[in-house]
Amino acid sequence: MPDQDTLQDLVGREHAATGSDYSAGFVTDIEADTLPPGLDESVVRAISTKKEEPAWMTEWRLDAFRRWQEMHAPRWAHVRFPDIDFQAISYFSAPKGDAPKSLDEVDPELLRTYEKLGIPLHERARLAGVREEDMPEVAVDAVFDSVSVATTFKDRLADAGVVFCSMSEAIREHPELVRKYLGSVVPKPDNFYAALNSAVFSDGSFVYVPKHTRCPMELSTYFRINAENTGQFERTLIIADEGAYVSYLEGCTAPMRDENQLHAAVVELVALDDAEIKYSTVQNWYPGDDEGNGGIYNFVTKRGACLGERSKISWTQVETGSAITWKYPSVVLRGADSVGEFYSVALTRNFQQADTGTKMTHIGPRTKSTIISKGISAGRSQNSYRGRVRMNPGAKGARNYTQCDSLLIGEQCGAHTFPYIESKLPSAMVEHEATTSKVSDEQLFLCQQRGIDPEKAVSMIVNGFCRDVFRTLPMEFAVEAAKLLEVSLEGAVG
Amino acid sequence: MAGSTPDEAAVARRLLQTGPNDYAPWFDRNACTAVIADQGLPAIRSEAWKYTNVGRWYETVLEATRPVHRETVVESPEEVDVRDFSDTRAADLFGPQATFDLTRYPLAAVNGLLLGAGLAIRVPAGCQASQTVRISHLPSAYQHCLVSVEAGAAVELVEEPSPYTHRIVEAVVHEGAVLRHRRRQAGASTRECSLVAVNVATGGRYELSQLSLGADLRRNDILVTLAGDGAETALQSAWRVDGRAHLDNQVAVEHTLPGGTSRQTYRGVAAGRARAVLNGRIHIAPGAQHSDATLSTKNLLADATAEVYAKPELTIFANDVKCSHGATVGAMDEDAVHYFRSRGIDEDRARGLFVRGFLREAIDDLAVAETLGVVV
Amino acid sequence: MSLLRVDELRVDVDDKTILNGLSLAVDAGEVHAVMGPNGSGKSTFANVLAGRPGYDVTGGTIAMDGADITELAPEERSHRGLFLAFQYPVEIPGVSNMEFLKAAVDAQARIRGEDEPSAPEFIGRARDAASRLDLDVDFLKRGVNDGFSGGEKKRNEILQMLLLEPRLAVLDETDSGLDIDALQVVAAGINAFRDEGNAVVLVTHYQRLLNYVVPDRVHVLTGGRIVRSGDRSLALELEEKGYGWLDA
Repeated sequence: MPDQDTLQDLVGREHAATGSDYSAGFVTDIEADTLPPGLDESVVRAISTKKEEPAWMTEWRLDAFRRWQEMHAPRWAHVRFPDIDFQAISYFSAPKGDAPKSLDEVDPELLRTYEKLGIPLHERARLAGVREEDMPEVAVDAVFDSVSVATTFKDRLADAGVVFCSMSEAIREHPELVRKYLGSVVPKPDNFYAALNSAVFSDGSFVYVPKHTRCPMELSTYFRINAENTGQFERTLIIADEGAYVSYLEGCTAPMRDENQLHAAVVELVALDDAEIKYSTVQNWYPGDDEGNGGIYNFVTKRGACLGERSKISWTQVETGSAITWKYPSVVLRGADSVGEFYSVALTRNFQQADTGTKMTHIGPRTKSTIISKGISAGRSQNSYRGRVRMNPGAKGARNYTQCDSLLIGEQCGAHTFPYIESKLPSAMVEHEATTSKVSDEQLFLCQQRGIDPEKAVSMIVNGFCRDVFRTLPMEFAVEAAKLLEVSLEGAVG
Repeated sequence: MAGSTPDEAAVARRLLQTGPNDYAPWFDRNACTAVIADQGLPAIRSEAWKYTNVGRWYETVLEATRPVHRETVVESPEEVDVRDFSDTRAADLFGPQATFDLTRYPLAAVNGLLLGAGLAIRVPAGCQASQTVRISHLPSAYQHCLVSVEAGAAVELVEEPSPYTHRIVEAVVHEGAVLRHRRRQAGASTRECSLVAVNVATGGRYELSQLSLGADLRRNDILVTLAGDGAETALQSAWRVDGRAHLDNQVAVEHTLPGGTSRQTYRGVAAGRARAVLNGRIHIAPGAQHSDATLSTKNLLADATAEVYAKPELTIFANDVKCSHGATVGAMDEDAVHYFRSRGIDEDRARGLFVRGFLREAIDDLAVAETLGVVV
Repeated sequence: MSLLRVDELRVDVDDKTILNGLSLAVDAGEVHAVMGPNGSGKSTFANVLAGRPGYDVTGGTIAMDGADITELAPEERSHRGLFLAFQYPVEIPGVSNMEFLKAAVDAQARIRGEDEPSAPEFIGRARDAASRLDLDVDFLKRGVNDGFSGGEKKRNEILQMLLLEPRLAVLDETDSGLDIDALQVVAAGINAFRDEGNAVVLVTHYQRLLNYVVPDRVHVLTGGRIVRSGDRSLALELEEKGYGWLDA
């Protein structure tokens, strides 16, 4: 087919592009306190000791570690990578010195790092590319390698009764909440990487929004991997009490390195009666170079529990980074009339692999879930949607709607869809649809004829394809996501 | 439940000790032995057997000979060449593993070792068979049918309900040939597994119309490979299972060359304590541009004790293709039932009519269904 | 100097010769109709002018304002003021008409060294053009051609032409699939567009559009070349006698 030429020319040019379009790929030169590589009980104890944890927490970790040792790394995902040597990884790395008591004490080098990434750690937070007057305030928890280095707007949030702090601090300051909910949504032996995380997690964010409280600003955590040969194992726990509302944003980057690095996080969300949690991720971990060397292995367990009646949990993710992405932000719909949503854009290019999707488990009556997944594959990448919708016998009148669309750019990539639909009761209704399309030469020619250059045309078409997901993001994140997609596509199509 | 059934290793050991049957010695069993020895048999709860307890089928394998019909009952028109595997010329048709990879379907290796009935069916080039080839009974629990529809030929092949433990139907549809395959499956107490593997060449067409009623355990693996430019297939399957029936359809349509078209349509009703499984995959191999593939599966749950598992899959390795699938699981449309009743039709009859209309979206010849007592 | 000058153009598609020495000159302020039976090469001609990939120019030249554009990329021709109204307008789901039009107008403005129009200014212009074509304002918010009727797609092409203000508009079978009301609306749009500084090439099978858009010249294309040229009466003669008359 002669019309193929245009797109092939564009895709062919991919080889001219380099990994240098990953602007977050720099390394911060900072003295770090890093544990030597290796994992045994003493390492788990050492992490717990460094974090000055109470005995119950140490025991909790050791229990997880013992369970992890009995488990095997899963192999069912549509991804390929060499076996990970868990003894070659360092499980703790933190900038040297005492934990800063306030923003003024944070190492200026660290502040510059976040400034460079467009995440200023002062309390006039403003993300790049958005006019100040459009921009609501955002409180940021910055996690650098294994520890939280700063959390902004804590006082303002405290006035509203909202707790927003690092996980380490929560274990010390709010043990009753942590003991009650940690591991309640993702149990320690849930899966291999969740068990590993439970044993060695070093920090992360903790949020508690009290009854009938609307969190006064967006909360966000920004994860940064900096140290070499280090895994990042953060743990996030968000609890929205009855009638509470919170919107939470997560961003992440890492330096460009030739070795793969492991990121195995666990995120747990708990929504009680009438509570709503909106969790948005723009994932931009280093994806590896265009030959497929290096990049982050992003093996993450994210799950929310709609415990309360009429509660709601929404996951929105824009995944453009990581060498391998392997995650299924899920919702357990236990409370009657609770609602779960999953909106996803996953873009893969070069040699990236993504196996991502969601699990919606309907337990309570009249529970509803919506899944909208948009996968974009370019280069030699493999992009899979994997999802499970389960209607348990109690979920009378439950509903699910799923739409999975794949867009292929070029002839050497793959796009795959693996939905599991499991229903055990007649009154539940499940609907699933999936389609595959490409950026057609006709579309490109139309844009070109109207004077729009091919790169701009492809990015416009891809943005249009993702529209249903982008409109669920908070405005400042939607802008970032669209820009990120554009930058990522520059390497992929021209 | 799994604990009470024999494990795969015990079955494999037994098979390897006993060795192959002496029926049709020309039939090469070395590959079967190798597969069982090297990779073993599928474990209970492995991904391919996620929803079906293969251990219950192993039980049947270990039982002594199961009662089967003692004679071959096959009708066919004169112009179609039908031979038993005991006739060595059957070997000329095509190699036993010409249409599928035994490592992917290890139960076929069990069939190979225990094989007791085989038929080779050849429709000569250009021949438009004047009558249906109808397979009613074969005299063994382990059966294998080889079908070759040569270039430009056309034939209808019908499988009537008949007990077996494992049946393989392998077909090669050559250039411009047409195979219309009708399968009728019934028999409440049986545990039956089957494999249908079909290769379709350039301009060829394979149509499957499959109607399944409940069995104690029924598993159908279906693999259609569109191995020629412009090859086509239409797979249509309807089922109604109730009681404690268990039905598992595992279908893969693989587009290996450009320009293939596939249509998959499934409609199923699960009632009582029955369990119905459909895994339907559309696979587009690298370079298979201009493939056009669709899959639609709709399922009705008639009782709160029945279960449905649907897994439509896409694995796409070419960009200039049209692929889509849709799946629904839900209850009977009560508004429709009410509409029938408001016109004076009683409730049972109304539900029966609704189910019949629903299944008809996949299979139109419900006269057959009614004789089997499927509907109403 | 002609606004468009095509000299001895030869074009192959899939190794088959479609245009075989086509020559044509169009001056500013003129409307030319290129007519011909099915398979005569009309659409190939329109697409080659716009630089669509897949058409192999084996000889001859296309020039605008005396500059050879035969080898230019489609967007470069667009930047020089060449506009093609597509016979089969392409759908781009998710990209709104407004967003698409703004991207196109911005690209043109940048090339001309002008400021991009502000959003309110552009929206005003787009609404104005839409109402001239009897299109609802909601039309601008919908995805490009996504779910449009045949008539809406054609009107959308004319809308784009009005907004982009090209120097040379090539309309490929814009009249096909339009009912009489829509045809009149489209014709009014074309008539409003034409002025002393621009030119229009109407590629069409039937002469009915020419009842509403009166051409200065009519050319008959058969077998990949212009075989006859004349004034408007030629179109009426074709209508009466059919294309077979030319072979006689």
